[in-house]
Amino acid sequence: MDQKSAGLNLTIFFCQQLDPDQDVNRRALEKELGERIRFFPLPCSGRIDPLHLMRALESGADKVYLVTCPEGTCRYREGNLRAQKRIAFTQELIEEIGLERERLELIITSAGNPVTIDEMARGLLAREASVGPSPVRVS
Amino acid sequence: MITAERKPLTEIKEMIAPYRKVLVVGCGSCVAECASGGEKEVGLLASALRMDAKISGKELEVKEMTLDRQCVYEFIDQLTDVIDEYDVVLSLGCGAGVQAVAEVFPKVHIVPALNTTFIGETKEAGLWVENCRACGDCKLGFFAAVCPITRCAKGLLNGPCGGSRTECCEVDPDVPCAWQLIIARLDDMGRLDLLRKVHPPADWSKQQGKGPRKIYRKDQRT
Amino acid sequence: MNIESKLKKVLDRGDFAVTAECGPPKGADPEVVKSKGKVLSSYVDSINVTDNQTAVVRLCSLAACALLKAEGLDPVFQIVTRDRNRIALQSDVLGASALGIRNILCLTGDHQSFGNQPEAKGVFDIDSIQLVQTVRQMRDTSQIMGGETLTEPPHLFIGAVENPFADPFKYRVARLAKKVDAGAEFIQTQCIFNLNRFKKWIGLAKDQGLDNKVYILGGITPLKSARMAEYMAKHVAGMDVPEEIISRMKSVPAKEQRQEGVRIAVETIQALRDMDGVHGIHIMAIEWEEIVPQIVQEANLFPRPQV
Repeated sequence: MDQKSAGLNLTIFFCQQLDPDQDVNRRALEKELGERIRFFPLPCSGRIDPLHLMRALESGADKVYLVTCPEGTCRYREGNLRAQKRIAFTQELIEEIGLERERLELIITSAGNPVTIDEMARGLLAREASVGPSPVRVS
Repeated sequence: MITAERKPLTEIKEMIAPYRKVLVVGCGSCVAECASGGEKEVGLLASALRMDAKISGKELEVKEMTLDRQCVYEFIDQLTDVIDEYDVVLSLGCGAGVQAVAEVFPKVHIVPALNTTFIGETKEAGLWVENCRACGDCKLGFFAAVCPITRCAKGLLNGPCGGSRTECCEVDPDVPCAWQLIIARLDDMGRLDLLRKVHPPADWSKQQGKGPRKIYRKDQRT
Repeated sequence: MNIESKLKKVLDRGDFAVTAECGPPKGADPEVVKSKGKVLSSYVDSINVTDNQTAVVRLCSLAACALLKAEGLDPVFQIVTRDRNRIALQSDVLGASALGIRNILCLTGDHQSFGNQPEAKGVFDIDSIQLVQTVRQMRDTSQIMGGETLTEPPHLFIGAVENPFADPFKYRVARLAKKVDAGAEFIQTQCIFNLNRFKKWIGLAKDQGLDNKVYILGGITPLKSARMAEYMAKHVAGMDVPEEIISRMKSVPAKEQRQEGVRIAVETIQALRDMDGVHGIHIMAIEWEEIVPQIVQEANLFPRPQV
């Protein structure tokens, strides 16, 4: 079943360089799904901190995405490399409390195919759900 | 700085298991520098504990606070107004901080979330290495500022030993031989003469003490 | 005390000395020590007993030396600073002398992490050079560390080790000089396979006049196999086994490798005898003490001088 139909809560951290008009482009989905989808633009994906990811899960997200710019195109050079390491670090932390690593996922966009945040998010919602509702929110 | 590492979560959970209201207290000093007990790390641990409690259906209230330093009364005092609201304080201070807080609030159970490890430097981002063993009798001037007690596995004052080959310590190939470094540096400075005489045995009583050591400054006492 | 060090007498006479190592057992049986002593006895001047070598628990050196002494042999008491503090070390020095042991070899010892008790606390209260200095002071001035007087000084011929094959090479002779300054009277070196490097080291030592101040005994270890040669080259810290030696061992069928190892040892001894500045050899045939008689005979060093 796809994530939208499964009713999962998605949180999407993303690099705002990916869609300069993201604040407009995301409104439609926000209106449609309400609390079930949350967007957090970052000046660079490298700005992500493990704490943001933990808090997202704590607030009830079932799946948290971090969307970065294509390899080698980071405006700040290394942002997406650091993002990768921080996701890995946070995955270790959540495994300690029994949450699946897959709840945190890094998406590296491909260079030749720029999409809006809306298209990106819809694509993610259409993906097959690999995890169920988080035990944090159903307890 | 004093370095520390977070204990495994299972150990921490076991220590706070009997309690319902936890205050997680960090320290903005050494442990923040080595990314184990600062405000961020407090946030990460608190978040993990709250989620874990929800998952296992346990009742647990977890609040966060970070002091500039946990080993100084003026900062510890900031806990005075709030500490009574909690059953236990989970401290992310080094051993000194945990104990200092307990001195001020002996009736509250203060438990450590970190294992205090060593005195060291931030060698590179994400890498901290030990460089001082607080021997109380600093000899760095004789050894080109490379501490043989800390950085030589055998603590030789007249090294190197017969096992040093290609600049590594025989005990751990990732550890540079401190004595090769001492000799190279002194040679470079033209001060190999400092190694000519036999360096006498250390006075270990300055490190071991008679129980816990102390410093007493009459001019600073009230 | 009338007992004298046989090793010292041989060296003082100008004879080429021969010592060999005896490893105590991992057990409490004194007969093992005695039988090793018997195997070596007429082929060496003195027998070294190792002190928990490689940080592996064995019958202690002091007791083993006492057992050998009782058999009429001249033991060299090896003592490491890894396991005991200055109180225990000075105490053992007195004990050794009281038991009639007349030679002591001061070492730091391999780090505890190498042995079978890696969780042990490594003491390292003092290092080997400080120990040499201490024994010398105890013997010559009847004083322990700190200056208190002894009722009877220990009577010991004092030795230390040096490794000409460890780095940094250029500091190795300065270290030898330091040991001599501290009071070392004889030196046993790490086992020699790289004669060129050893020759260089001896040359540098001679330049500083050290061969006149201290007796130098070159270390010899007979290779049992090509695999042993490779292992030592790769995994033993501070060891220098040149490629030619390894290939030479490999070029011989497995059954004959032991004898090839003996041949290499004998050739090395002969080279050392011809080298100015070398006063003897120290044979470390680890767990192969039985081979020492053959080596000593083939190197024309048998019989040993009667002193």
